[in-house]
Amino acid sequence: MTVEERNRPLSASRRLFLQRASLLTGMISLGGGSYLLNPKGVWAADPIKVGVATDLTGPISWGGIPNSQVAKLVIEQINASGGLLGRPLQLILEDTATNEQLAVTKVRKLVTQDKVDVVFGGITSSMRNAIKDTIVNRGKTLYIYPQLYEGKECTPYLFCTGPTPAQQCDTFIPWLIKNGGKKFYLPSADYVWPHVLNEYAKKTIIKNGGEVIGEEYFPVDHNEYSATVNKIMSSGVNVVFNTTIPPGVAALFKQLNEAGFQKKGGRLACVYYDENALGITPAHEIEGLASCLDYFKAINDPFGNKLQADYAKLYGEKSFFTAGGGATGMYRGIKLWEAAVKEAKSVKREPVAAALDHAKISDGPGGGAEFVPGTRHVKVNMYTAVSKGGKYEIVEKSKGPVLPGECA
Amino acid sequence: MSSAAAFFFDVLAYSSIFVLVVMGLGIIASMMGIFNFAHGEFVLLGGYTVYVFQSSGLPVWAGMLAAPIVVGLIGLCLERIVIRRFYATPIVAMLGTYAIGLALRESVRSLLGGQFYSVTAPLVGSFALGEISVSRWRTAVILITFAVMMGCYFLLTRTRFGLRVRAALENPSLARASGISTSRVYAATFTFGAALAGLAGGLMVPIYAISADMGVPFLIKSFLAVMLGGMGGFEGAIAGAALVGAGSAALPWAIKPVVADLLVFVIAIAIVKFRPEGLLSKWRNQ
Repeated sequence: MTVEERNRPLSASRRLFLQRASLLTGMISLGGGSYLLNPKGVWAADPIKVGVATDLTGPISWGGIPNSQVAKLVIEQINASGGLLGRPLQLILEDTATNEQLAVTKVRKLVTQDKVDVVFGGITSSMRNAIKDTIVNRGKTLYIYPQLYEGKECTPYLFCTGPTPAQQCDTFIPWLIKNGGKKFYLPSADYVWPHVLNEYAKKTIIKNGGEVIGEEYFPVDHNEYSATVNKIMSSGVNVVFNTTIPPGVAALFKQLNEAGFQKKGGRLACVYYDENALGITPAHEIEGLASCLDYFKAINDPFGNKLQADYAKLYGEKSFFTAGGGATGMYRGIKLWEAAVKEAKSVKREPVAAALDHAKISDGPGGGAEFVPGTRHVKVNMYTAVSKGGKYEIVEKSKGPVLPGECA
Repeated sequence: MSSAAAFFFDVLAYSSIFVLVVMGLGIIASMMGIFNFAHGEFVLLGGYTVYVFQSSGLPVWAGMLAAPIVVGLIGLCLERIVIRRFYATPIVAMLGTYAIGLALRESVRSLLGGQFYSVTAPLVGSFALGEISVSRWRTAVILITFAVMMGCYFLLTRTRFGLRVRAALENPSLARASGISTSRVYAATFTFGAALAGLAGGLMVPIYAISADMGVPFLIKSFLAVMLGGMGGFEGAIAGAALVGAGSAALPWAIKPVVADLLVFVIAIAIVKFRPEGLLSKWRNQ
């Protein structure tokens, strides 16, 4: 750059201004990250509008992308089999971009402008807390939240279809004590889910005769765990019950492995670990890691396999259909809502909510599901799986559906 | 005793990774006077290059050699097209590079489908040193960092290129009058800084995992390191990086990690307050 170029004053060209202003207006009027999926074929009736607001971009898109994909799949399946009450389903998908402020605007658009009949979505608890009021109170619309979470969400008209701490701990922790040992260490990310889940986990550990050696909270983007690894290795810990999150979790597991945690008989446990999470670390570093979720591909049930095949045909081998990011909860949520609409013979909020209260599906990934009346949470089968050579093996299945233990 | 050895190794290992990340940022900041907010994404692109090599069946070490070249070339293109327009306005440069970084990050995210993938290190596992087991790859990173650091130092202080770079920084008008093409020197410096970021990303991706947000946790602390070291020279940034890296790794041994993270900033800001010229200012003036 020459001195003249550098010293030239900024020119206020009218043409440039007009160009940029029109570009900006164009961008604003289009809106970022809104997708409309119209039903295929010709329908006589107006469509039922289904809003899905999830994180297609930003750090939580590992969960949001499979969520949106399974929603598209299920809605197309419902339309292909004749729609709902003779009407087709129209999917309006909003990208909340892992940004709560933006998300509030997006769901407001869904409930006020698009006037959707139901909203599905949100992955993190902070996202659910940010958008729920706009949907259920001001928007007077049903909201179904699909992700596993820390519980305690008892807002009317808000239905949760993912596992709760009780479902993820009640069978899992006794198994860990039997197949790992009594001394637990809880390295955790510093936000609401690990804090509340750990409270429940600690109670369950102590009730089953275990012992909590340490509990530590890290900034969410933390990636250096040498001090913690040293504490774990020097205090004879048997089970590391982890709630630190990606990408930092890769560094923690690697440092534990390199320090010889598994070689000395230690057991890793992490309740959000699913098939997508297996990619985070090389297989040998998490050999023996145990997880407890409502579905694993390894269950190898005909229903799940069919769903996996349909999903893979549409979306390929990236972003699998798994339980850890809420995709199973999304499937279950849409099917339970479908069942409720059929029973209520309406899409209006009151009758659908009344029918959802006891809605039930006999088939789903991992088995059927049903809402426990009065709680707006589902009871589902829970599975404990162990990672062996980069794949899960199911080691235990709950005896029948496990109760959510929330809002009772 | 074994715990003290583990402590020193881990602090050294983390500081090395940190120094590696800060080096490229420090060179661009101190030689050109702009803060490159896309630095974290250059690190990410280095990691992504290695991931692409691994997933297409090529050796990981080849990916690590290619990473600085690929990222250097991307840096060169960006400098020629966009960044050279920002040199007169450092604030606009920050915003502009931030936008570039955001675009790069979200592009990689969509390529990865938002997921996380591991990259296997060329040296796997650990070896026993007395009672503690030491990670092979972290040891290699410490050694490589040291070599790269020395290489950069000699390049900037002992070669013709280094002389031109320093001349262009100290007095651009005089440098141009002496027949140095400052525009080319700036392009070369930016390319070099980007290449170092690519190398850092390539070397550290086996320790973490490839994901779009890989560079983000390092970015803010890297700026802190550059501020701490002072803007004038390359050694200052390295010293700042070593200090911030060591602080981040060492403090959690004594206090809660969440507090430690905060304390690193507090300590660094206090140092900047009392030594606004940077850590090594006295040494440099002598």
